[in-house]
Amino acid sequence: MSYKSIYISIILAVLLVSGFSMKQDTKNSSYTLISTTSTYTAGDMVSLDFNFEGSADVFMYCSNSYGSVIIQPTVGNTLKFEIPKSITDKSGTINWELHATSKLSSGQILIQPKSEINKLETYIGPPSIEAGGTDYTMLVAIPTDELDNPLVDSTKVVVKHQFLDDHKDDDIYTKHGFTYKNLFSYEQTGRMLINSESLDLNSKEFDVNVVPAIPTNFTISADRIHNYADGNQITTFRTSVIKDRYNNTVSDGTFVSFIIINSDGNIEETSGATIDGIATAKLLHPDHEEQWAIKAYIEGMANSETINIKFEQAVTDFEVSFSDSNRMITVGPLQSFMDQYIPDGLRVVLTITKDGAIENQIIEQSVDGYVKFILNKDRYTKGQYDLKIEAAGITKSFENTSYE
Amino acid sequence: MSNSNKNILRGVILFSYVLVIALVIYGVAAIFSYLNTGADRSTMLHTEVEQIDQYLPQLQWSPLRNEGRPMDTENLKAIEEDYLDAWYVKHVAFMTNSMTGIDDFYTESARENIRNVISINSESNTVIEATTLAHHPTLEFFSEDGQIAVLTDHDVIEFKRIFTGEKLVAEVNEKSTYKVTLLLEDGFWRIRHLVRVKSEPYIPSASTISFNPEEIKGINYYPQATPWNMYGDNFDRTIIAEDFQVISDAQLNSIRVFVPYEDFGKSTVSEEKLDKLIQVLDVADSKGLKVLITLFDFYGDYSVLDWTLTQRHASTIINTLKTHNALLGWDIKNEPDLDFENRGKELVTAWLNKMITLVKSQDPDHPVTIGWSNAESAAILNEQLDFVSFHYYEKVEDLNERYTSLKSKVKNKPVVITEYGMSSYSGIWNPFGNSEEDQAEYHKAMQSIFSENDLPFMSWTLYDFSEIPKEVVGRLPWRQNAQKHFGFINEEGVKKPSFKHISTTEQPPSSHY
Repeated sequence: MSYKSIYISIILAVLLVSGFSMKQDTKNSSYTLISTTSTYTAGDMVSLDFNFEGSADVFMYCSNSYGSVIIQPTVGNTLKFEIPKSITDKSGTINWELHATSKLSSGQILIQPKSEINKLETYIGPPSIEAGGTDYTMLVAIPTDELDNPLVDSTKVVVKHQFLDDHKDDDIYTKHGFTYKNLFSYEQTGRMLINSESLDLNSKEFDVNVVPAIPTNFTISADRIHNYADGNQITTFRTSVIKDRYNNTVSDGTFVSFIIINSDGNIEETSGATIDGIATAKLLHPDHEEQWAIKAYIEGMANSETINIKFEQAVTDFEVSFSDSNRMITVGPLQSFMDQYIPDGLRVVLTITKDGAIENQIIEQSVDGYVKFILNKDRYTKGQYDLKIEAAGITKSFENTSYE
Repeated sequence: MSNSNKNILRGVILFSYVLVIALVIYGVAAIFSYLNTGADRSTMLHTEVEQIDQYLPQLQWSPLRNEGRPMDTENLKAIEEDYLDAWYVKHVAFMTNSMTGIDDFYTESARENIRNVISINSESNTVIEATTLAHHPTLEFFSEDGQIAVLTDHDVIEFKRIFTGEKLVAEVNEKSTYKVTLLLEDGFWRIRHLVRVKSEPYIPSASTISFNPEEIKGINYYPQATPWNMYGDNFDRTIIAEDFQVISDAQLNSIRVFVPYEDFGKSTVSEEKLDKLIQVLDVADSKGLKVLITLFDFYGDYSVLDWTLTQRHASTIINTLKTHNALLGWDIKNEPDLDFENRGKELVTAWLNKMITLVKSQDPDHPVTIGWSNAESAAILNEQLDFVSFHYYEKVEDLNERYTSLKSKVKNKPVVITEYGMSSYSGIWNPFGNSEEDQAEYHKAMQSIFSENDLPFMSWTLYDFSEIPKEVVGRLPWRQNAQKHFGFINEEGVKKPSFKHISTTEQPPSSHY
């Protein structure tokens, strides 16, 4: 009986003690941080040790630049909180808070990036710039350590570039985790090669094209094999070598428009793109005496002076004969400046008028020096017609031609 | 007999035939329409990513003095939107422990860091509900080709609720400064580097103002025809003006009105509704009444990711009205303690706490309160409030005790009863309800307690209503009918006996009664 009561009291005592320890309140507990270091380098093992009295039923909230985690302690004589490596790998401020049912204490740890460089991220743009020293390209460098943290500010980056005979190094220093350098163009065109270096680590090679600046005014010329208005040969317009103001030949493909104004004030346009600074464009000769005023433009940027060229009449006169009861009209021979039959394709227009109203207008092109018009009986019934024939700027009229 | 069986059989066969044909047609149509759909080419350019307001923390750019290329508003807006979206998807990622959406707003190497945190958290079964309430970015740099931007985001106010195994274990407030490097990739500004250069625990300190509500003699107001829908199509300024005249003739000096959260357009506050609210204040001003505006009526979400939207809602309204002469003060929310059960006391309190800070930051000059549904809850957050208010629908005899016990908890804070009243409904749904005479007795008794204790009051309500929306008290007819008869004036517009005691124990005979 007495044994029984001893057992019972022992069991009760154990239960009571364990019950108390379970209920032990963090309010009556104390926690003192032992760890004194507050600055670490990324990748270091970081653990926070606390001396404690009372309950070990606590946890730690811990956040870095990217996110937050909860850490449970390893309980021994002290409470040891090991901060996970992926948290301490990132540079920046780590906030920690010791919590039970409420916040008990808090603090900060600073994680510095490693001092060794692992990667030099370099961005460059724009990839082509204009010659002349006002336009520039920008190089941005972000040196990072092997844990992908930007290195501490004031890390030196050397920006090297080569252009023609020039070779230059510039020292720049990081701020806010990056650094940048504006590389200005030179007066000549060409290709600039750029690279950057930091803490003996070199980036790859970048190239930037220095393209010619906007063109300056130029001159034009017109080439033709003769100056007769034969409606057959071609006049070629050609620019001088177009340059920018630093004497660089403009980029191939620069578009030049030639505006041609004839003696009636009508405008024709032809165009060409430059190759080696020269643009060419072509236009067919007129078929009658004519004067052209030609001016070339690179729209919005440059233009040429006006040049004038004159075309002499090639076909001085032609014959018109009627046959087959006037229903067949033969124009020709159409002869050019050496009395040669004009090459095929001269435009001849026959206008048929009856009682002052135009009945029809027929356009034909010459073949072997002649043009033939056949007036159909069904279309042009019996009566009087006025006929007008125009070719090479010459007009011939036949009034009151009767048809049966 | 067999004939009718045959007919049934025929019917079944016919019906199943129709069914089979219908299914076949449906199937063919589905295949056909499937084959006719495909990704719209424009989706490649992300031009039509739908813009829904889902995250609107306060954001204030410091004046642009960045290095590199001069910044333009178009690009700044694009950076701002994507930067905030980056925060939003990160909050969602840590709340769900999944990487959804992260790819769009973080570069490949930055994603890794978030993935690491998520894997730790999913292992320890930790979920983090977080939001940021304020950002103060400074643009440091914009690259010449417009592909890189660097900014320093100062004093980011972060709030986190941390759950382990679905149990809330901690709430964290931090104020941090971040250095952010963004790259323009695939049309998105993506975070390349995020370095928190400074961070500290943050305790919002909203200083209270001293406010003496002793003079308040008020009433909760809805127009008779449109209770709980005051700013709809039937808004009528003349009716409101007439009602306010009645109120002011009854020697009351203030009213309490409600701003329904969803009806006012949530984060994008409807200008039309806001204009009607201004008209209410204008009319009140002309009748010499002060207006206590109760925000967030019918709001019940409280989820942490929704906070920025509610804050945008509140700041829009507050900044429009804070200079109005008729404004008495801000009641953050009507009876938020009723949401404790469903949404959790911690969550609701945390939301209220943050909202008080916001309201005070936007309008430091007007007093702020919360209209608690009973005296027991009214001590919550009282340190942050300028005056304490609660609603009282219990027995008249218990008021003194309730008031004294509250007064001892809130010390020097002034206390106002912002709702009290009695329904004069007795009928088929409640044969033993109170009569109009009981109601008058009740008000008389209440008034005498108020004058004994110098207790400011706002009664419920001016009118009996004929329709009560189901959102207010539910659909049950005995509740609906009770709610209809709290007024001092009945449905026919006749003043009930209780009207005599609307502002004092006894109305002077010269009044309209």
